[in-house]
Amino acid sequence: MSRAPRIDLPHPRQEPRIPMPLSLENLERVFADCDDFNKRQVYLHGDPSRQVTVCYIGGMARTERLNDYVMRPLAQDPMLASVPESRVFELLEKGALYAQSATRATELDEAALAIIDGSCALFFPGRSDALLIPVATEEKRSVGEPENEPALKGARDSFVESVRTNTSLVRRRLRAPELKVKEHTVGRQSLTPVDVVYLAGIADPDTVARLEQKLDEIDIDGVEAAGNLEEYLVEAARTPFPLMVYTQRPDRFCQGLLEGRVGLIADGIPLGWLVPGTVDQFFKTGQDRAYHWMTASALSLIRYLCALVTLLLPGLYIALVTFHPEAIPVKLALSIVSAKQEVPFSTIFEVLIMLLAFEVVQEAGLRLPSPIGATVSILGGLVVGNAAVDAHIVSPAVLIAVAIAGVAGYTMPSQDLGSALRLWRFLLAILASLGGLFGLTMGCAALIYHLAGLETFGVPYLAPFTTGTRVRRGHPSLIRPPLPWMKWRDGAVRTENRRNQR
Amino acid sequence: MRKAIAVPALLLSVLLTGCGQLPYPREMEDMALLRTMGVDGGGDALTVTVSTGPRARGLQGDREPALILSAQGGSLSAAALTLQSLSDSYVFFGYVDQLLLGEDLARDGVSPVLDYFARDVELGLGARIWVVRGTARGAVESGGDQGVDSRLTTLCTDGEMGVSAISRRMGEVYANLLEQGSSYVPALTVMEGEGAALVDGGYAVLKGDRLAGFLEGEEARGLELLAGKPSAHVLEETVGGEPVTVRVSGGSAACRLTDEGGLSLTCRVTARLTEHSRPLTGEELEELEQQVRLREEARVRGTLDRLRGWEADCLGLGAKGALTAPGVWSRVREDWSRTFARREPEVTVRVELHP
Repeated sequence: MSRAPRIDLPHPRQEPRIPMPLSLENLERVFADCDDFNKRQVYLHGDPSRQVTVCYIGGMARTERLNDYVMRPLAQDPMLASVPESRVFELLEKGALYAQSATRATELDEAALAIIDGSCALFFPGRSDALLIPVATEEKRSVGEPENEPALKGARDSFVESVRTNTSLVRRRLRAPELKVKEHTVGRQSLTPVDVVYLAGIADPDTVARLEQKLDEIDIDGVEAAGNLEEYLVEAARTPFPLMVYTQRPDRFCQGLLEGRVGLIADGIPLGWLVPGTVDQFFKTGQDRAYHWMTASALSLIRYLCALVTLLLPGLYIALVTFHPEAIPVKLALSIVSAKQEVPFSTIFEVLIMLLAFEVVQEAGLRLPSPIGATVSILGGLVVGNAAVDAHIVSPAVLIAVAIAGVAGYTMPSQDLGSALRLWRFLLAILASLGGLFGLTMGCAALIYHLAGLETFGVPYLAPFTTGTRVRRGHPSLIRPPLPWMKWRDGAVRTENRRNQR
Repeated sequence: MRKAIAVPALLLSVLLTGCGQLPYPREMEDMALLRTMGVDGGGDALTVTVSTGPRARGLQGDREPALILSAQGGSLSAAALTLQSLSDSYVFFGYVDQLLLGEDLARDGVSPVLDYFARDVELGLGARIWVVRGTARGAVESGGDQGVDSRLTTLCTDGEMGVSAISRRMGEVYANLLEQGSSYVPALTVMEGEGAALVDGGYAVLKGDRLAGFLEGEEARGLELLAGKPSAHVLEETVGGEPVTVRVSGGSAACRLTDEGGLSLTCRVTARLTEHSRPLTGEELEELEQQVRLREEARVRGTLDRLRGWEADCLGLGAKGALTAPGVWSRVREDWSRTFARREPEVTVRVELHP
């Protein structure tokens, strides 16, 4: 009687993955019940005594390449039938086939994974090795515009789902040979290629090593979402605040690399990450360096201000109206009182319900297809807004406060940061409901304590505003100084090359 | 481990701040937001009269009459508590920024009221203060359904613009009383009649914490000039047999202590020729300047004479003069009120006339 496996045992990882010797029979066994697995016997130049078996997976291998560059030479090259049989393999490996590479495989693991990646494997009777020829299809989405980070004055290309396309987009911008791309495979079932990209001599080697080590330690089934990497690479579980910057824009990604950050690109996810992700990075946009420095600085300050507004306004409204009305200017107080006269709910309930309604409308708009989503948003806005005020369900002041807080939150360039602020906004509103300005202040203190305790790849999260790294920061983070003044790199904690211009 | 110690320690230290009891929430629509408070004395009881000013209701801001409440009590606290029971709403004193003191109360002493405002959690010393020539209750009720707050706000604004009497805050008056033993407060008079209204009534001078008397008319103008904030006023003079009008638009006063402990005052007046039938010659302008100077000097002297009579340096002239002669001030400081009353100040008035 077999015992049921204990569920708290470590996730088993088997090396090698397929513990069998390499042979055609074993490969067929591995791909049993896989209808997309194909094999074909080919006579070399029509000689029945010399045959080779070509194995590939339909859809992963490109038919034209397979036919033109593998099948045709095998079937038509007279040399393959004339040379001694022992030299056929060598000839094919060294150039008889029109392929960019031909690799000799001796392990079943290697052959099976190459076939999955789109190669074809050539098996010769009586040999315990195989020849792997890459004929992969390159079907993928073409490079489009970054929808989440629209460019008004700058490049309009964005990352796609193919890691190799993405690295090529980066290399086209950073042509220096110091740009290094190190590939790691993550995901036991997905076997996703994840590339660590950095500029040697600029990026912090310690950060690169730490990132690579963490990638290697990831032992999960698959990488099908961004969280599969983010939540394993940084301590994301203990904070809603993002600790890794992501971008769709190759130009912003390259700017991060030039700053000394280390990049990460995963196959199947049209994003590039940059580490370490300090808090100032989430307030920056790809356009900051495109605008005049005064405009960019003003916009940057506005974004910081909006972060405070979206975070504090509902809580501040509750605290002032409910606990400290004397702090409100007289005319505003009278206006609030007159509008609130016929509303049956308490201010605290009103604000919390409106915050919740705001989230519901937003979520409904996001989940539905765009045309319906827009309709739902408009209807929701009208119902929650105008109708609720007319029906004396909420007071206009509450609606304005919640709407301003909500709209201010949309100025955040990072959706992750915006979401974290939304969560804390609820918490601060609840604390303000309990203790007025005292509760709100305690909540703010807790938030600062929380942020000060965060760290991303050895760099304090609040490093731009503190001296935690004990390394002089490159330039102020609240504003964007003129580029000729920004002579020092900002990202890496330790780098051999801190200066970025003469 | 460090966090496990730090968090409880932090929470314990929060209790040490005295914030152990959280504030109590109260909905604003359930409050009567008081704007004006009048306090009358005389006798054993204090009468407190409060007004909210005009109120609005609903999204369209439908007007509702001002809420006026009045209660008596042996103390301000008792009267304020009685006010709570008179209203359906919670009577909130946090917006009281206008305080009217009745004449009788001012004669008995204003310290209890100032102390109460200074110590109360909702009130404060930021409110504007007036002494009413009559009862504060009458002044508060003179606003009728509209309340009296808008009229008082107008008087404040006019005072700040130099159109009417100088407005004063409780904190300033209280500080004057504590530091120099006297102060001045704008006074109001209730114009009786069908549409009762509050009008400027000069200044009340407080000595100790009691009303010493009122300065009106020319004396009030003199006090304003000595305070360096003359209200706009017009002087009608005759030059060369023809009437000429001069508008006083600004002024300042500087004082210093003489070696004997007396005061030497220099007032500068800026005036503008506003109405005249023909262009004035240089000699006529000089003559007019001289007339204005004499008028202003007479005002200042009149004011100083009254203040000396009350032994009340309510403008803090001695303290200002001390900056120029600290040694002399340390000698006369102890007995300054009497010195101020005994020695006639030297007064110089300079007029800058703009034709």
